[in-house]
Amino acid sequence: MAGALPPAERRGGVILAVYVALSLLLLVVGDHLPQTALRGIGAALFAPLDRVVLGIDRLAGAWRENQQLHLRVTTLELENVRLRSLEAENRALREQLQLPGYRGLALQPAEVLALTGEPYPASATISAGTRQGVHLGDAVVTSDGLVGRIGEVYGGFARVVLLTDPNASVACEVESTAVLGMLRFTPAPRPRLVLTLVPFADTVRVGQSVLTSDLSRRYPRWIPVGRVVRLGVAEGGLTQEIELEPAARLTRMRYVFIVPGPPAAPGAP
Amino acid sequence: MRGLGLFVFSLVAALLLRSTALSALAARGIVIDVLAFVVIVWSLRHGAAWGATFGFVIGLIADLDATHWLGRHALILCVIGYVVGFLARTLVRESGRTQFMLLALATAAHQAWVVPFELGGMGGLASGWPYFLERVLVAALATAPVGTLALTVARRLFGRPLFGNALRQPG
Repeated sequence: MAGALPPAERRGGVILAVYVALSLLLLVVGDHLPQTALRGIGAALFAPLDRVVLGIDRLAGAWRENQQLHLRVTTLELENVRLRSLEAENRALREQLQLPGYRGLALQPAEVLALTGEPYPASATISAGTRQGVHLGDAVVTSDGLVGRIGEVYGGFARVVLLTDPNASVACEVESTAVLGMLRFTPAPRPRLVLTLVPFADTVRVGQSVLTSDLSRRYPRWIPVGRVVRLGVAEGGLTQEIELEPAARLTRMRYVFIVPGPPAAPGAP
Repeated sequence: MRGLGLFVFSLVAALLLRSTALSALAARGIVIDVLAFVVIVWSLRHGAAWGATFGFVIGLIADLDATHWLGRHALILCVIGYVVGFLARTLVRESGRTQFMLLALATAAHQAWVVPFELGGMGGLASGWPYFLERVLVAALATAPVGTLALTVARRLFGRPLFGNALRQPG
């Protein structure tokens, strides 16, 4: 059969066979290979190019966004004045009740260079790394809410594992109700964020906000995660399955903020 | 040397487009399969061996970027590159209808192969088949016209055929 083909076709067939064999081998053993270093090299090569492409894209929206940000800063400053007086009152009350005080979050800004994954991005490359004091496992947020956590760190950039990564999970609570659950991204039957492990005894309503809970080791408490959009029953029928709309716009991020997390336990991923 | 430069430029341009401009569109459910598009263009222009090579390399880079299942894009894209390159010898490559059909079929094949991995295998596919069908159809119907239009515009800009006619007729 092969002899009936011209030399160019025969060579093409051999090349294809080699590539197919290599691809199949990688599919079988790929997860055991050290991919982090290769991804680091790739991210380092692509980071300057990503900056150029994104710079052109973002220049157009910068003027309009500047106006919106001025308005938002003014609104937030006015709100901040009110919240500071409430915080002082809250601190005094917590001291009287002998409860531990709440500490504010230290934020490290970074630019989003690239998003990876279709149709929903599962990871993002950002412009801050070990040189900027970023550590593995640090939480990543936007002004709207939680984005994910640092999954890989390099010198001047890092990869963020987004909430939409199927392997990511976040311990959450429904705002003002103390209802606890575990947030996961479910790819089937359609891609969505769901709050799982919520007992039927707990009442949750559409529209309520979901925040990170203090049961999470990775994330500080009370970071907005999403809003309840649909209530359902989990597979097996023992708990509720609550569909969320993410608070942060994961597909349209320009800047994110890294929240330093607690030091990782020895041997922890 | 010029060929290598074009090879690298095509790789970088496609991957940059995928991770920046097209990612927002993909999140709205409209996947423009730029990987399948560039593999087809490369195969139509350079034949089966180069098509398979280009498909394998760009697929491998896309796999590395995606963290999981190394080899899934590389496998299907090298096969698409080879098949399209092989067929290119007998097709009227400048025909818009040919390009449309090739883009639609290649995109459908690419998406039909990679989406089950995202759904978590056959178990996920059993419950997620409506999403699977929607994704494959939308990607094919979005990529084919956009790709054909891009090739038409490129042909007008260059003022000459991009691929030339069939190299030879079969038989």
